This record gives sequence, C-alpha cells and structure tokens, in this order.
Amino acid sequence: MFTSRAAPSVPADGRALLRRGLRRHPARIAGFISLLTLWQVCETLVPVAIGLVIDKAIAPSDTTALVWSGVGLVALFGMLSYSYRFGSRLGFGTLQHEMHHLRMEIAETSLRPLGVMTTKLSGETLSLATSDTANVGFALRSLGYSVAAAGSLAISAWVLLDIHLGLGLTVLLGVPLVLLGLQALTPVIARRTAAQEGAVASATGVATDLVRGLRVVQGLAAEDEATQRYRRVSRHARIAGIRQADARAGMLGATALAGNLFLAGVALWAGNLALDGEISIGQLVIVVGLSSYLTDPIQVIGAISAQIAQALTSADRIAEHLNAAPEVQVGTEAPAAPATWRSRRPSFTSGPGELLGLVFTDAADADDLLSRLEVGDPGITVAGSPLSTLSLAARRAHLVVDPHHVDLFEATLRETVAGGADIDPGRLERAIDASATTDVVELSPDGVDQRIAADATTHSGGQRQRIGLARALASAPPLLVLHDPTTAVDPVTEHRIARGLRAHRHAATSTHLTWLVTTSPTLLSVADRVLLIDAGDVLAEGTHRDLSNRPDYRAAVHR
Amino acid sequence: MSTVTPGRDLLPIADRRTTTRVAVRLVAAHRWPLVGAIVSFLLVGASALVAPRMLGEIVDAVERGESSITRYVVAIAVAAVTGAVFNAVSVSLLARAGEPAVATLREEVLERALHLDGARIEAAGTGDLMSRVGDDARLVADSVDDFLPTLVNSVVLVGFTVIGLVALDWRLALAGLVAAPFYAAGLRWYLPRSAPRYREERIAQGERAQALLGALSGARTVRAFALEKGQLAQVDRASGRARDIAISVFHLLTRFFARNNRAELIGLASVLGVGFWLVRADLVTVGAVTAAALYFHRLFDPIGGLLMVLDQLQSAGASLSRLVGVAVLPPTAPGTPPTHRGPLVLHSVAHAYVSDRPVLHPTDLVVQPGERVALVGATGAGKTTLGRIAAGLLRPVSGTVSLAGTSYGELGVRAVRSRVALLSQEGHVFAASLRDNLSLARPDATDTSLWAALDRVGATAWAAALSDGLDTVLGEGGHRLTPARAQQVALARIDLADPWFVVLDEATAEAGSAGAHELEAAALAVTAGRGALVIAHRLTQSASADRVVVLDAGRVVEQGSHDELVSAGGRYAELWQAWSGA
Repeated sequence: MFTSRAAPSVPADGRALLRRGLRRHPARIAGFISLLTLWQVCETLVPVAIGLVIDKAIAPSDTTALVWSGVGLVALFGMLSYSYRFGSRLGFGTLQHEMHHLRMEIAETSLRPLGVMTTKLSGETLSLATSDTANVGFALRSLGYSVAAAGSLAISAWVLLDIHLGLGLTVLLGVPLVLLGLQALTPVIARRTAAQEGAVASATGVATDLVRGLRVVQGLAAEDEATQRYRRVSRHARIAGIRQADARAGMLGATALAGNLFLAGVALWAGNLALDGEISIGQLVIVVGLSSYLTDPIQVIGAISAQIAQALTSADRIAEHLNAAPEVQVGTEAPAAPATWRSRRPSFTSGPGELLGLVFTDAADADDLLSRLEVGDPGITVAGSPLSTLSLAARRAHLVVDPHHVDLFEATLRETVAGGADIDPGRLERAIDASATTDVVELSPDGVDQRIAADATTHSGGQRQRIGLARALASAPPLLVLHDPTTAVDPVTEHRIARGLRAHRHAATSTHLTWLVTTSPTLLSVADRVLLIDAGDVLAEGTHRDLSNRPDYRAAVHR
Repeated sequence: MSTVTPGRDLLPIADRRTTTRVAVRLVAAHRWPLVGAIVSFLLVGASALVAPRMLGEIVDAVERGESSITRYVVAIAVAAVTGAVFNAVSVSLLARAGEPAVATLREEVLERALHLDGARIEAAGTGDLMSRVGDDARLVADSVDDFLPTLVNSVVLVGFTVIGLVALDWRLALAGLVAAPFYAAGLRWYLPRSAPRYREERIAQGERAQALLGALSGARTVRAFALEKGQLAQVDRASGRARDIAISVFHLLTRFFARNNRAELIGLASVLGVGFWLVRADLVTVGAVTAAALYFHRLFDPIGGLLMVLDQLQSAGASLSRLVGVAVLPPTAPGTPPTHRGPLVLHSVAHAYVSDRPVLHPTDLVVQPGERVALVGATGAGKTTLGRIAAGLLRPVSGTVSLAGTSYGELGVRAVRSRVALLSQEGHVFAASLRDNLSLARPDATDTSLWAALDRVGATAWAAALSDGLDTVLGEGGHRLTPARAQQVALARIDLADPWFVVLDEATAEAGSAGAHELEAAALAVTAGRGALVIAHRLTQSASADRVVVLDAGRVVEQGSHDELVSAGGRYAELWQAWSGA
C-alpha cells in the first residue's frame, strides 16, 4: 500500500519512469519475459515439428516415429500453453500493479501536504491517472512481448544457421537492420500521438468542467451552447485521432512490407539452395515454415517502438506532474505552541488566546493573506521563526487555514467533522454545537451518522458551510484562520455561530488563537480586537464597537 | 473515512439490442470510409494468402526439379507491396469511420448529460458520467482500431485457407475439422463467464474516477485538514478493486487460450495422423500432407484472432452499452417559450427529496412581471427548493407552476428556462475565456454587448485590467476570480440571457460586505424591469424588495412589505433585529 513505500524516488522524466517501472518488479518481469520467450520459442518450433514429423514419420511411413511424434507434439503444446498462461498472467498482473502504483503516486502528489504548482484541471489530472497510466502500463507489457519475439527470432536464426550458415546469418543481421530502418517513422507517430492524447485530455477536461457547472448551464438554458463547445473540442480530438491513425497506418504498412519482402528474399535463396541440392526438402519445409513465421515477430518488434514512443509522451506528462514544484515552503524549525504570530505586511502581532477580526477593504487582499499563510510566507513569523522555516509537522501542529469554499467528501457527518481522526465524542459534540450544525444533525433520523454525498450535493449551502465550520473547530489548532464562514446562513443562526465560536475557542483560560477574516458585523462583534486593513496597511485597530465610529470601517462592514 | 462504497444510483446502461441499434446507426453514418476499409482489408487478406501458397509451390517445384523458382518469389514480393499499401489504406480509412463515430457518440452522451436533471447526475456521482465520457469512450475507440482489421483479416484468412485445404484433399480437410467442436466448447465456457466480469470492471473504473475526482477537486481542503490519508485510502481501494477485477478477467482469458491450444493440438495431430495413413495407403503425396499441415498451422492465428474479436465484443460492448445508456435517454423537447409576459404562479407546490420527509409543504406564490419578491427564512427552511421549483429546475412532488398562464409541464423545461433564469450561490466559472464564459448565455453577443453587460454589473474596471481582456482564460487552471467577481460574471451572463424572471438564490452571499454592496447594486441593475425572486440572508436585499415572503420549516409564515413585517413583530422582525442590530 502507498503508506508502506518509504520516500519513493521520483523519476526525472518519462524515460526514467519507464525504467523504474521495469526495475520495480524485477523478479516478476524476469519471470514474465522468460516464460513468454519460452512460449514464443515453442510457437516457432511448431512448424519445425511439422517438418520433423513429415521427414521422420510420414515420408518413411514409420509407425514408431509417428507415436513419438504424437508424444512430442503433446509435450510441445503443453509447454506452449502453460508458458503463455503463466507468463502472460505475470506480465498482466505486473502491469496492473504498476498502473495502480502510478495512479496512487499521481494522487499522492496532488494531495501532498506541500501542494503542487499546477495549471491542470482536475479532469486533466484524472486523465493522467487513467489513460496516460494505461499507456505506460501497456507499453511495459509490450516490451515483454518484444523481448519474447526477439527470442523467437533468435531461435529461428539458430535453426537456420544449423541448416545453412548464410541463411542464418542473413536472418540474424538482416532483421535488426530492417527494424532499425523502421525506427525512422517513430518520431512522426510520437508527435501525432502526443497531439491526439493532448486533444482527448482537453476534451475530457472540458467535459468535466461543463458537468461541474451543470447548474449554471441549466440555469441559463445554455445546454445547447455548452454542447456546441464540447463538440468543438471533441472535433479537435477526432481530427488529431485521424492524423495519428494515418501515421500508424504508414508504420503498419512499412512494417508489413519489410517483413514480407524479407520473407521473399529468404524464400528465393533457400529455394535456390534446395534446387542446387545444398539443403534437403525437409530442411526447405522448415526454412519456409520458419520464414513465413518471421513476419509476426518482426511486426511485434516493429510496433514496439511506436508504443514506447506513445508511452514516453504519457510517461513524460506523468513525470512532469510528479516533479511539479511544491507550493508550500517548509524548513526544520518547530517552535512550541501556543506561540505569538507576527505579520510584516499588513503589520500586526497576535498572541495566544486572542480572537482577532481582520477586515480587508479589498477582498483580493484577504485571499492573498490566506494563500500566503497556506504556502508559508517568510514575512509571517511564529514565535520569531519565519513560517517558511517551520517543518511540515510543526506547521500542521500550529495552523489550520480553513478555505472559504467548503469541500466535503463522501463520508458520514461524524467522519467529516472528525476529519478522519479518532476524536472523542465530547469534542465532536462541542464542535457541532458551536457551529450550529445541530440543526443539520437533527434534520436527519441518522443524526451524526447521516451520509454526506460527494460534493455534499445532499445538503444545502448553509448546511455545508456549518458542517465545514464544525470540521474546522473540531480540528482545534492553536491558530485557526476562518474566511467568511457564515455567508450562507441566516442572521439568527449567524448570531448563534458567533456566540458558539467565542465560547468554543475562547473560554477564559484558553490559549487558542483565531483569526476571523470577515466583514460580518455579527462575527466581528465577538472579536477581542479588529484590524481594518487597506492595501496592506493597518488603518485602525480596536474592538468592533470602537471602530464602528469610523466611517471607513462602517463602509467596510456596512450591511 | 468510511470503508463501504455506498450504492449509487448509477446512470442507465443500455441493453444489448439498443446498444447494437445505436452502434449500427453510428457506423452507418460513416459507411463509405468503412466500406473502403473493408474492401482494403479483403485485399490485404487475399495478399496474405499469396505467400504460403507460393512457398508451397516452391517446395513442389523443387521436388519436381524445376529450374527456377524466381516467379514464385516475384509473386510473394508483389503481394507484399499490395498488402502493405492496402494495409495502410485500410487503417487510415477505418479511422475516418471510427473516430467520427466515437466522437459523435461521446458528444451525444455529453449532450444528453447536460440536458439531464442535475440532481440525477449528482445522484449517480459525477465520476460515473466522467468515466463514461473518458474511459469508456477511449476503450471503444481503441477496439474500433483493432476490431475490424482482426475480424476481416481473420475471416478472409480462415475462409481462403479452408478452401485451400478442401481443394488439396477432402479427407485431410475433414481431419482438420475435428478441432472445430473443441474451439466451440472453449467459447461456450468463456463468454458467459467473462461478460459479467467486464461489466463489473467498467463500474469499478467509474468508482475509481469518482474517488480520484473527489480527492483532486478538494485538494485544498484535503491539505488544510491533513485528510490525505483517508482520501488516498479511498482512491487506493477503488483503484485496487478495478485492478483486481482486471486481473481476474485476464486469468479467465488465459484459461480460454489454453482451451484453444488444446483444439489446435487435436486438429494438427489429426491432420498428421490421417496424413500418415493416407500416405501409407498411397492415397495422397507427402507434399500434400506437408501443405495440409502448414495450412492448418496457418489457421492458428486467424482463428485465435476471431476468438479475440468475440472477447473484444464483450469488453468493448460493456463500455459501449454504458455510453449508449446515456445517449438514448429521451431528449428534452425544445418547447415554445410564451410570447406575452404574464405572472409566474406557483400553485400549491410541495416537495420532498425523500418520501415522507417533506421539505416544502403546499405553498402558493405569485411573482408579477417587474415585481421584486424577497424570500427569507432560516437555513433549511426550503427557500432553495422553492427557488429551484420556480426556475423549472426541480419538478415539485405536487402542485403546479405556470408562466403567463401556461403550465411548466406544457411549456417544457427548456422553454421555461429561456424565460426564467436562476443564479445560485456557487457561480461556476468555466475554464474558458471571459468571452466564452459570458457568451454561454448569448452565443451571438458582440464584444460591445459583452462589455455593456460587464458595465451593468460594475465589472468593467477589473475586466479591462485583465492581461488579455475578454480573452483571459478564467476558472480552474486559469485566472482565478474572487467569489464576488465570479458572481459579477454570473450576473452579467443573466443580463445577456435576458430572461423575464430571475431567481437569485443567495447570489450575493459569497462576497464580503464591500463586495456584497457592489453585487447587490449589480443584482438590482440586472433584475430591473424583470420579475425577481430573491432568496437572501442579507436582509438589505429584502428591505429593498416590493414584497417579503418568510418561509419557516417548509411553510410560508409571513408575507408583506418590509415595513409591515418589521412592525408586525413576528419571525421577520426577529431576523431583521439580528441583522441590523449586530
């Protein structure tokens, strides 16, 4: 499982990612390739066996040889069948496990505490975790098949060498040359495949975005227009798909041509050798049987470079995601909690126990402060240490920034508020009370065990906001930063929440520190101190009541 | 986090007959490239027969002691060129049939999905829909690439080889036929076992998409509350399950292959054995037995190919039926919007999301054209439900809604929505340019009218300051708007859509006070001259309304002008006290 993997090394690029995929399961891949090679060799030996049966049993009409032939055939087919069965299972299983690993790594990166610098839509990341991952997995598997095919080519060459040195050498040297020639086409395929997959991913991204905004689309009766827009990106994907198929068609045609022309050459030579009496009829049958079988491995190996190229573009995308720079700056400091916090701009200090109201005249500045807290701005200090120097554990032990947008996940209400941790029922209940989530609990016969659907579509905006607030309160950090936590609740409930918040986190002896980024007078009226901040400057500070005389403050919090 | 996957109410999956019908329709729309591809494949198949035939000729020629075999080799080379050319042509033509067919299907699925009741999709989980538009569409597209070439090639090869075998010697051909029942037995064993597993696999993939999407889109909250362990465990579980099912299907497949190998062995041994007796009885030549055995060996691949095609039919069919299931949902009729303005009337409407748990008791409400009605009450009072019913987004369990004298049922959902627009509290900003975000409401809008709408909602200043103006990409992955600006964009959209009635559900709640004032001004500007139902916790909005309706626990408890209700000292007065006294 993901937790048991100790600090996995992140591959630098797609090539490294593919290599690691092979190295990660050495025993399984070795088993897969050897069994598959054995299978290919057996397949190659079938025409040889036919030649032998005809030469040794049928032509001389030897009954004993016929019986031995039967035994031999059963043994050959048995080996062929079982080696494929277990070899391919090993390969398929390995690729499925590798794909699962990759999906988990992609999700871990997206969710890691350090954050990800990315411009990807969730739909695009989803396609990274599904279709790109599938490309990588299947290319790894094809690689195994190619090695096996090479094995069967080697066996053919060896049999041919035994029959005639020149023929054997031709196959041994000629096939790699033909394959090398085919590589010239690979870059074209790789380019078009990348374009096609990019187009498909962006179509998926647009589809996800439209489905997410479904309520808006329907509210505007814009279903048809939205469909038109999807149609446009889908059409791009379609055109890119056709272009990719054209490149693939060229590659397929060239591979088939090369394989069959090679066969013609070998047949010409071997036929002439037989005419000259240098090889027997039985040997000619074997040569002919083997050569006609050569086109298959050539096609398998010919196709692998295109598959690898396709997998590489996918692997590059995945590696890029895994290597995305972290958003959050961390160090090693771990100051003791509770601590005094200091911000350089806007300039203020806030110590344990305080319920501090922060009123920004410009909402964008409020967002800015929140995101600086999230990413670890060195201009904010905790007990003298810049936030950027705190270790991850220390940051988490000191601070929770509750985003204004409430994301709820599929779980029960109890699990949601507990935040996946085991918290005692008393603490849970207090958090639910303080956030006025009690109403939500009482509305359902299942109480705190009621289910919350994905995105909490089962709950109204006000209910979601209160559940989110309960979760924030239950997490009980030394510093809790709340951003407009009551915009979706009615004024009476807002009063209850303001009182609840005060009582919950700021009882007489409490060292909890809460920053309320809001313009709600109801919430601000319970704050110990309120700062009015304009463009990074603290214009005024005092209680809500003190500041209410100032026209600029009244304008900022005016209802 | 929870360890059980709740049974979701998934979107429909089409039955086999419907799936086939739709597949035929899609393919028929691109029949010419398809016919071309099939003809090319026939030529490829025919070319492929030349080489083994000529190799046999070479053996015979050597045996007869002929002087030259060059012409046979030339034939092989010519066939190689023909085969290669038509191979390329066929793949290329097939993409011209397959890609558009898959694209059309994918588009139809999204079109229907967008027209579906939003609650229906939410009940199924967005992941269900996304895995259909993504994973399933891709799987179908991939198998179109594989399916036809393999099918045609195999049929051609099997057909010609069998003919060749019969022409060679009927007794040897019969000996080969012994394998047929063994192949059939393999199929009968495999197909009924794999079909349900493939369906399960697709559903598991949908769950996987759901788990991934949920975690990814809530990443900021996941980080804030250190929820990654629980979220990753859910992804791990869903992805692991999809993996395990895939592996178990593959195990079945390999056992199926083993059965095919058995059939091959039996056929080959039979040909060689019968050949032995026939040669001994002097009924056929050694050369004929050689050719027959090689012919039979040549059958292995195409027969294997045919069996794989059947497997793919099952696998791709499972995906296709999921796509078709959505694509064939009945389309919503466009309807005819009323042409003469009239009141929006809700008569005795009641609603319950879960039966026996009513959220709205029978309620009457009339909004006159140009009238501004505020709907207030505690959270959970049923305001949003009433708003969605008024906007035609939710069909009430009982009661009727009508616009200008015609009932919503008669008008049709889409006609209603073109006259009654809803703006909710979470305005989604699409990952597209500002222009595209706005013109969604009015595709033919000029830049001038877009700017005019932005001006009306007070957004000109910041919109003009955007790096690329109207072309600035917004939303996830682009320029992030503050909630207040996002709502301004949403209001501008409404202005462009130009409906008769507007339902504003907490449309101004997402901004701080300063932003809220601007938004309220914007909302006033946009609703001017239209009927408006304003759901608000910010009571400044109800204070400026023509009429205030107070809802409590699903019932209208008070109704009147702001001043009347404040002096009446009831529920509204209490709310107003809490609001203004803070």
